[in-house]
Amino acid sequence: MSEPILIIGGGVAGINCALNVANYGTKVYLVDDTPSIGGMMARLDKTFPTNDCSICIEAPLMYEVHNHSNIEILTNTEVRRVRKTNGMFKVRLVKKAKFIDEEKCTGCRACMDACPASLPDEMDGKIGGMRKLISMAFPQAVPNKVYINPDCRYGRMRNKGACVGGCVVDCSQCRECPIALCVAACKKEGKDAVRLWQSNKNIDLEVKSIVVATGIKDAPAPPGLHGYDVYDNVITNIQFERLMNAGGPTTGRIVRPSDKKYAHKIAWIQCAGRGLAQGLPYCSKVCCMIAAKQTIITKEHDSSVETLIFYNDLKAYGKGFWGFYQKAKEKGVRYIKARPYDVSEDPATKNLTIRYEDLETGELKKEEVELLVLSTGLIPSNRNQNLAKVLNIELDHLGFFKERDPLMAPLATNVKGIYLCGGATGPIDISESVVQACAAGMKAILTN
Amino acid sequence: MNVPEVVEYARGLKHVAFADEGKWSCSVDYLAKIKEAIKEHNLNRVVIASCTPRTHEPLFKQTVKEAGLNPYLLEFVSIREQDSWVHMGEPERATQKAKDLIKMGVAKAIFLEEGEEIRLPVQTDCLVIGGGVAGMSAALQIADQGFQTILVEREPKLGGLLNRVSTVSHDHGVMPAPEIVRVKATLVESHPNINVYTDTEIESLQGYIGNYKVKLKTNGKSSEEALDISTIIVATGMKELEPTGQYEYGSDSRVITQLELEELLRGMSGNSEPLYGTVSNRSLLKVKDVVMINCVNSKNETRGCCNIGCSISVKNALALKKLQPDLQIHILYRDLSMVKEEHFHLDEAKAAGIKFIRFPDDHYPQLVKEDGRFVIRVYDILLGKELEIPSDMLVLTTAFKGNETVGQIKGYLKVSANSDGFFQEAHVKLGPVDFPSAGISLSGCAKSPKNFKESCEEGMAAAMRVSIPMKKGYIEAEGIVADIDLTDCSKCSLCYKNCPFSAIQLDENKQPSVIKALCKGCGLCAADCPKECITIVHYSDEQLLAQVEAALEESPEKKILGFVCHWCALGGVDMAGVSRLQYPSNARLIRVMCSARVPIKLIERAFELGAAGVLVVGCEFPTCHYITGNYACEARMNRAKKKLSKKGVDPDKLWVDWCSAADGPKFANIMRDMVKQLNLG
Repeated sequence: MSEPILIIGGGVAGINCALNVANYGTKVYLVDDTPSIGGMMARLDKTFPTNDCSICIEAPLMYEVHNHSNIEILTNTEVRRVRKTNGMFKVRLVKKAKFIDEEKCTGCRACMDACPASLPDEMDGKIGGMRKLISMAFPQAVPNKVYINPDCRYGRMRNKGACVGGCVVDCSQCRECPIALCVAACKKEGKDAVRLWQSNKNIDLEVKSIVVATGIKDAPAPPGLHGYDVYDNVITNIQFERLMNAGGPTTGRIVRPSDKKYAHKIAWIQCAGRGLAQGLPYCSKVCCMIAAKQTIITKEHDSSVETLIFYNDLKAYGKGFWGFYQKAKEKGVRYIKARPYDVSEDPATKNLTIRYEDLETGELKKEEVELLVLSTGLIPSNRNQNLAKVLNIELDHLGFFKERDPLMAPLATNVKGIYLCGGATGPIDISESVVQACAAGMKAILTN
Repeated sequence: MNVPEVVEYARGLKHVAFADEGKWSCSVDYLAKIKEAIKEHNLNRVVIASCTPRTHEPLFKQTVKEAGLNPYLLEFVSIREQDSWVHMGEPERATQKAKDLIKMGVAKAIFLEEGEEIRLPVQTDCLVIGGGVAGMSAALQIADQGFQTILVEREPKLGGLLNRVSTVSHDHGVMPAPEIVRVKATLVESHPNINVYTDTEIESLQGYIGNYKVKLKTNGKSSEEALDISTIIVATGMKELEPTGQYEYGSDSRVITQLELEELLRGMSGNSEPLYGTVSNRSLLKVKDVVMINCVNSKNETRGCCNIGCSISVKNALALKKLQPDLQIHILYRDLSMVKEEHFHLDEAKAAGIKFIRFPDDHYPQLVKEDGRFVIRVYDILLGKELEIPSDMLVLTTAFKGNETVGQIKGYLKVSANSDGFFQEAHVKLGPVDFPSAGISLSGCAKSPKNFKESCEEGMAAAMRVSIPMKKGYIEAEGIVADIDLTDCSKCSLCYKNCPFSAIQLDENKQPSVIKALCKGCGLCAADCPKECITIVHYSDEQLLAQVEAALEESPEKKILGFVCHWCALGGVDMAGVSRLQYPSNARLIRVMCSARVPIKLIERAFELGAAGVLVVGCEFPTCHYITGNYACEARMNRAKKKLSKKGVDPDKLWVDWCSAADGPKFANIMRDMVKQLNLG
């Protein structure tokens, strides 16, 4: 077998890249700095323009990766250092402690039931999603193992009701814990998988090429923008995605954060914050179709819900996207070419009034809705800055990874043997990510 | 549930030689125990009753294999997600259900047969159809691996659409298109592993992965021998949809398309003469007022956004401005679909003095001639009034369509294309450069209009896809495949027509046979075969029937017999389990790979045995792991209902529903509703 390849990032791009390279017969290390592979796609509800269920089409690939003899998955693992010598990359990885013996954990979740403390979920917090201090990334997580919030283990969750709060000894000093309820629950199940004293582990690899598939991030709404963080019922489009997901915190019920009641009239503001100081200076490509999808699904849940989309330019750039937009309109979604400039809340009903300029008539108008969704766009992943330094590759002026010559050598970076795919290159949809994943995999294989 | 009681029950079942329980049967120590037991008791079938096959079947398959047993002799029963986790409040019923599920598993296991992965050899010859940028990119990647590549181009010269455009980027620093073609074509033509055939068309093409035979026709002369080809990349590109008759295009030479403008610009830059010069030799330098109208023939009832028109219009407007800075340019548009960094090019264009006017979707600009002079009348949305713009050159940003060879290639390869002649990929999201049949890939503008960079990437991606079987030397299918017994075959060719993967071929006598390596085992053909001569290995009628009969042996009047597809429906069932959603315990589920596997006769049999209800659940539309299986299932279930009512069975006792893998709550609700409506509470 030829020399192995390192893929950084286990989202849909990394997974597809790994499967292609591994099926070709090349060994792959698939590294992800979160506890599970799956990335952004694993937590979406549907995918445009077909409304395919996101996890339904991704999970089989995740299992395939898991069971593939040529792929080694390293979750919760960061790339710390990379040196290139004799054409090979010497890579130092750090596997951050999950405080779990992954060999022993069977994913039974008894520890989760036992854990007394919860925190707002990193993605679902705003809409009520909670996560135990010991938890599974999501139900279909691969590997299907739990992990412990490091803050719990370091004693920082005492005021949140963590059970280890009563102990004065640092966990690293013990090999047994008489206090932690997760430890006890695990032992009661006949397994002894919780390892509060586990430490980070260095892993050294030597690979011939590297594919960066670190993905993209949904832009947080600038505080105060259209009432975000001021009024309860203003959420971002990714939060809405979680709201309509049967696997999300509301089991797919589209309810308002303020009173958990069904929303009967919902508005989307596209390009939210674009051009403002804290907003994005560019178009994120996918938000128009995300909004079309979300309104269609909302209408499919309950056709009586009124939906309106304030937008400026419609991006229906891909195959079948225009038809998808037409479908939304047929379902009764109101598209309004408009510039919203103000949102205010009725304190009694928590409804929101949006004032906007209708671009077609120039008139100032207003509209009262029960839930407001902000399409904030996509921004570079937090990982990019640091990873660019570690890999010695460049970022562009927006913070995405830079291609050496996008036209003549697409997906190649300024370092020979390091390639890009997916959201690491900029805003992108799933199918384009898959195309790039295959292409980057090909280049990585051909590196010698 | 009472596990020891379940084990005791299992031990007492006919044919069971050994039964044991383990708290964590997937742990390393217990797997070793399983292997020991197989050897010690000389077991020839294994039934695992534990979590869900969706996650753990490969592990147990591997385990029995390591114990020296054929992995297809394993049957997996889900008593956690389908039972203990969802019936927590009724341990007795849960215990009873576990017994039934295991009995069903054992009943099927008795009929299990050894299976094996099926291999089809694949050599390393690839045919790339189309010598544009996608085709050239693909060919280079394949040839670099040492594989023989045949690149066929209809035109006399490689380059495709690049031979007509001036530049591929707004950035004037990058290579002009003719230079890119020269560089790429030199790489391709000088590559020892690439045979380039220009002026060449495909005369005939038949076969399947590893076994294609292709005949070429160069300069009208047919090749004598057919070439042996293993894999194919389709990169036939696209062409402009001529806006004949619109805006006097075709009758007034001042009206041109963007591509024709590209040719003029190309001529101006002195690189080469326009290849196909449909435009007269009017000098661009004499033009004073250029108007571009975007979305001509796009975004209407029949056609969507062309993806690249907006950025092409901005790019060409900037090129004109560079040539002649005092030129007046208006771009009339509906939406500016400028994504990612293209937005900065828009700023550049505005700074250069190019004017943008937005017109309403349903009110296109009009061309008016005054004394032979052009005036474009357009309603400006932002100003809220109609403007008249003088013009001496009108550029139409028109839509695109697939090449005229699409119809022919579609027939050769048994693939589909849309009404505009763009090929249909295997899966919009996850199979963007694949066709449903193995060994053929799709790339570039043959799929849909795209820019230069995206076409390069697709070419590289398509190369990746076809290189996998060529590198391995074979393709492999899981042992779950169709098998045709021709004894009763009536040669109706239904199986041939219905197979979504072109895995069934007909010989001269219309006798079907399965190309096993291409078969995915969905079972659509088997369930619809009027003579019942097709069986699916590992999901045979015999095995499924044994499960049905075992499930309904005791108190069938209280039971719901369910068929769930492996991919989405079972995912929904598992999700209900993981979420600990509690629902009534009446269902006994049988796993099939696809809902299309469920034949009407099994449903009839279940009702004959007295089942209270039958449930069939497949993937939510339009998702289907087997492309169209759920559609086939839906049609068949409608027929089943009619048949049932003729037989005097209430057709409402047959429930057909669709679930996604996230639809735990939906599945639980189906269960509750069924129990309620069938009065099983």
